[in-house]
Amino acid sequence: MKKLTHLLETRQVSSKEIVEHYLGEITRQEPTLNAFITVDGDEALRQAEASDKRRAEHRPLSLWDGIPIAIKDNISTQGLKTTCASRFLANYRPLFDATVVSSLKNAGLPIIGKTNLDEFAMGSSTEYSAYGVTRNPHDQARVSGGSSGGSAAAVAAGEIPWSLGTDTGGSIRQPASFCGVVGLKPTYGWVSRYGVVALAPSLDQVGPLATTVEDAATLFSLLAGPDPKDATSAAARVFEVPTWDGEFIKGLKIGVPEEFFSKGLHPEVEQAVRKGLGALEEQGAILIPISLSTNDYAIDTYLTLVTAEASSSLARYDGVRYGERALALDSNTMFAKSRAEGFGPEVKRRIMLGTYVLSASHYEAYYEQAQRVRTLIKQDVLEAFKQVDVIITPTTPTAAFRIGAKQSPLEMYLSDLFTAMANLSGIPALSVPCGKDSRGLPLGMQVMGNHFSESLLFRLGHFVEKTVGIEGGAVGDKL
Amino acid sequence: MIDRREVIRMARLARLELSEMEIDQYQKDLTSFLTSGKKLQQVDVSRVEGTSHAVSVAHELRKDEVGKSLPQEAVLLGGPQVQDGFFRVPRIVEAQE
Repeated sequence: MKKLTHLLETRQVSSKEIVEHYLGEITRQEPTLNAFITVDGDEALRQAEASDKRRAEHRPLSLWDGIPIAIKDNISTQGLKTTCASRFLANYRPLFDATVVSSLKNAGLPIIGKTNLDEFAMGSSTEYSAYGVTRNPHDQARVSGGSSGGSAAAVAAGEIPWSLGTDTGGSIRQPASFCGVVGLKPTYGWVSRYGVVALAPSLDQVGPLATTVEDAATLFSLLAGPDPKDATSAAARVFEVPTWDGEFIKGLKIGVPEEFFSKGLHPEVEQAVRKGLGALEEQGAILIPISLSTNDYAIDTYLTLVTAEASSSLARYDGVRYGERALALDSNTMFAKSRAEGFGPEVKRRIMLGTYVLSASHYEAYYEQAQRVRTLIKQDVLEAFKQVDVIITPTTPTAAFRIGAKQSPLEMYLSDLFTAMANLSGIPALSVPCGKDSRGLPLGMQVMGNHFSESLLFRLGHFVEKTVGIEGGAVGDKL
Repeated sequence: MIDRREVIRMARLARLELSEMEIDQYQKDLTSFLTSGKKLQQVDVSRVEGTSHAVSVAHELRKDEVGKSLPQEAVLLGGPQVQDGFFRVPRIVEAQE
């Protein structure tokens, strides 16, 4: 991004040329990749021309004025279709921008389009999108991950320099890992959720995806901050991109939780992450074996809470004020039919499970129990940070799997085995590429830190990029 | 196995019309899901309160100021059926014989 901003600043290249380049890549690659649900080239070009005019008049809105971006399609964009990859919202055009979208527009970033996801962000492969699967740019027979699969694949393929995703249980980090790009799930509350279509409001966060840690940090600096429209963002403050010197690594205490290196972990993933850890140790970091035993309960707790919150969040889709409506003679039938026709199978499944755990007779045994186990998980994580500065694990148990490989829902849920813990405890977690397996598929390392420690995570991630020798795993052309 | 009638009751609570095949499917899914819920029930949580939000924030109230709201015509644009400035829906009250 440094190179791009320099070219823009010195007027060697115009924003219009940059946007045209990426639109060309999108046209060339989308027939196979399918990372986008909506591309709005005309509007992006208009924004680019406005940006060029600002630069000509020496009044750019930010350093990144004119550099385009793609937005996950569950984040509201005024007047631009926001489908959540659902048939229910096939023609829905929001009346307002999400706060994160306003922030990007205020910095002069043209929005090139909306990226694919699992319907309402429920899934780990984009196979649950009503608009088809997004293929992995490294191997088209494989998934891009999910739910922010479109955002990750578009960046990895060079269709866009950076993008926004959302992460409820791993939805930024897992696809970032599968596609070989950088992705951050920020501290809960540091980024506004206003205008982000809710899956599980107590877990959802918006975050950046980019080819390098530095770009991800830059994009995060545009997103972070308090928003009066989101009460849970109250504790947020401004984020400043850190300096990139490597001195901090000497004596840095890195926790390595044994539970994340045991059953279900593919040996090649383990090897890559351990190699990365070894490199950090050589540079002066101290590796400390720790235990996060409550991760055993993370997926079950996550599933109970996410389905409960989702069933409640999705109650609003009734076919009355927006969305698709089925024909019926009375309203109750209309609600039930509209929802039956509008939602895909995974969304229905989660609504059913969530309704069950929230129903009067089961609430205490399931939902309340899960909330309490969540407290134990959070305590476990915060206790670990009394001993160590950061925790490093693999991002996912395996590299990207084949399209159609996961047959049962439970199998799919296990994709979040290493990532859900950060959402449940609200801590930030960064996925950084850390090598490839023998088939050339990218692998990711997850760096977790205490609340509001993003700066340290970025510095460490940047260090990993340099020492492990992989700056992004993008396969596409870079400008 | 969870009772089939229970699945139908949940679907009614969730306002979801399900086919016979879907009911069979979700009966299976609910049953297998409940085994994971059972695993959680074995955890001793007697000494902790529940966490509803991971980062405890003091909810700051903003000033109660009158702001601009969305224009009525704009809001109605998204409505599947609109009439005289209202969202129109099918009959809600049962018709009398």
